Amino acid sequence: MTTPQLPLNFRFPPRTRLAHFLPGDNAVALASVRQLLVDTGEFAGVLLAGPAGSGKTHLASSAVQEANTAQYLPLRSLGAQALPALEAALTTGLVVIDDVDAIAGRRAEEIALFDLFNRAKSDRARLLVTSAELPSRLAIHLPDLVSRLSSLVQHRLRLLPEFEVRAVLVDRARERGLDLSGEVLDFLMRRFPRDLGALISIVDQLDVASMAAQRRLTVPFIRRVIESVKT
Amino acid sequence: MQNLWDRCLSRLDAEFSEQDILTWLKPLQVREEPGVLRLLAPNAFVLESVRERFLERIQEIGAFLAEGPLDVRLEVGSLNKPKPPPPPRANGRAEPAPVVHDDFESNLDSHYTFDNFVEGKSNQLGHAAAFQVAMNPGRRESNPLLLYGGTGLGKTHLMYAAGNLMRRNRPGFRVLYQRSEQFVSDMIKALNAKNMDDFKSRYRNVDALLIDDIQFFAGKDRTQEEFFHTFNALFESNQQIILTCDRYPKEVENMEPRLTSRLGWGLPVAIEPPDFETRAAILLRKAEQKGLKLTEEVAFMIARRMRSHVRDLEGALNTLSARAHFTGRLVTIEFAQEALRDLLTVQERALSIPNIQKMVADYSQLRVADLLSKRRTRHLARARQMAMALTKELTTHSLPEIGDAFGGRDHTTVLHACRLIAELRETDGKTREDWDKLIRALTSG
Repeated sequence: MTTPQLPLNFRFPPRTRLAHFLPGDNAVALASVRQLLVDTGEFAGVLLAGPAGSGKTHLASSAVQEANTAQYLPLRSLGAQALPALEAALTTGLVVIDDVDAIAGRRAEEIALFDLFNRAKSDRARLLVTSAELPSRLAIHLPDLVSRLSSLVQHRLRLLPEFEVRAVLVDRARERGLDLSGEVLDFLMRRFPRDLGALISIVDQLDVASMAAQRRLTVPFIRRVIESVKT
Repeated sequence: MQNLWDRCLSRLDAEFSEQDILTWLKPLQVREEPGVLRLLAPNAFVLESVRERFLERIQEIGAFLAEGPLDVRLEVGSLNKPKPPPPPRANGRAEPAPVVHDDFESNLDSHYTFDNFVEGKSNQLGHAAAFQVAMNPGRRESNPLLLYGGTGLGKTHLMYAAGNLMRRNRPGFRVLYQRSEQFVSDMIKALNAKNMDDFKSRYRNVDALLIDDIQFFAGKDRTQEEFFHTFNALFESNQQIILTCDRYPKEVENMEPRLTSRLGWGLPVAIEPPDFETRAAILLRKAEQKGLKLTEEVAFMIARRMRSHVRDLEGALNTLSARAHFTGRLVTIEFAQEALRDLLTVQERALSIPNIQKMVADYSQLRVADLLSKRRTRHLARARQMAMALTKELTTHSLPEIGDAFGGRDHTTVLHACRLIAELRETDGKTREDWDKLIRALTSG
């Protein structure tokens, strides 16, 4: 058996720019985030709530990319480091708190975020918070934190309609020199939830797999890749 | 020519995940000098992570790109100059305190004044007390002034307003405002650095000390002890103390009894959730401050449907204003309903009939099934009436709907309950207290 050829370790420019965000029903949320990039000398805060795949992380990371001074606190992936990160965060420029629901119910983290919020307000920083749900539906125990989050401008992000998701995937694939047939697209849309971030990463992985196997991207090939990942 | 750090970053970009880059490398600021790359981290936490995970690679790539030896220095710092103090707000009517040459720098937020505090039945007493204290600080009968009540009801606003007024009346008056978490972290720092004397003199060498949210002292014994001594020192020499707490201090668990009893010595005042008229007045006032055109009709609609705390109203107004701004539409009642749909349904869902029944049952130590049953013991009947009256007050359900939801009772039974509870709230202190507590519990957070 021959070892598959290793694909080049070549990364494409990350697409996390606000200009790449397909607004769909979320145009007002996008405009709010854009406005947050401008330092007006006053405290300002926006909270984006929405299901996975609705573009929260895209907006949050693009804001970090495009702001002059920004700190990024992805609370879910920081895991146990979320607490020291919250405690150490400075309140200058833009502070982006991604996945606030990840710390719901964890008292020390909730207090640290509450404290960060208060510092941000008195230092006139700008806050961008993302969350799976609107504040009063989160399982946050500290009422003081809920009330502060609920004082922000709040937008619920809605999933892109399916035809827009398809357009994004075709676009993404084309950028990588990959041709997504209608058949493959149908398969992907049926097989996976309409979570844009996850679908993009699947397309990326399929691209890598097809390069390694030197095979065209067909439905049977994808099936085999998925099977091999499972086993 | 692209600078060294940017080129270095685009290399790193290919080796690490985007999230890593954004979390750890993006916040670094850079100063490039010949042969030296100085990376400034915003804090020690970021610095440590960068040192551990990225520094070696940065050195390698940096030296490669610089085509020669490169000294990469990692330190905590910033290129930015500190921000100048905020300009006084044009419409805040807060007259700046006269300039006094003094080494004491006030940390009060001058946005909050008595002028822009919206007074209503629920906070009248708090307003009057804070105003009196500000006019005559340090008097025994109102020391400490303790403002207590749920979150987002304006306690901090009143506290700041009192501090600002003291400084306006008495230029040079030393008013120190501190959130309780800051007090705790100051103390820990002082303990570690072994300069408790500095800490003590910082907190005792003031004319008025304002500490916000003292419920966060709970369980922190050393902090409570230190605060106890600070409190005594200030109290003995008639320096004014103003405190806020989310409930009556004796109800806070893990607080030293000798401390909580002392907190009740002066003037404890409860701040209640705002009633309908106050909520509407707050919305209109805040809209005016933001330059948003809000009709009374829209303000009434929001005030009727959002019943919890002032920050919720603020959030609704901020959201409405953003939507109106970006869509260029007038704030009509239909527009407001559409723009706030998500926020308003959240509030209504929280106040469903089952929710109210559950809350009243827990409060009265009954089961929900008891409330819905036919049994009519005195305790049970009163709890049931209370729950029905609360449902009428807090939801838009009709009397027959409420009757149905309470085990198929007649609408006249519901009406009777509402009238009876209304009457008892006037005549019976216990009923009034139960009612207030339940309203607060159901409408906060």
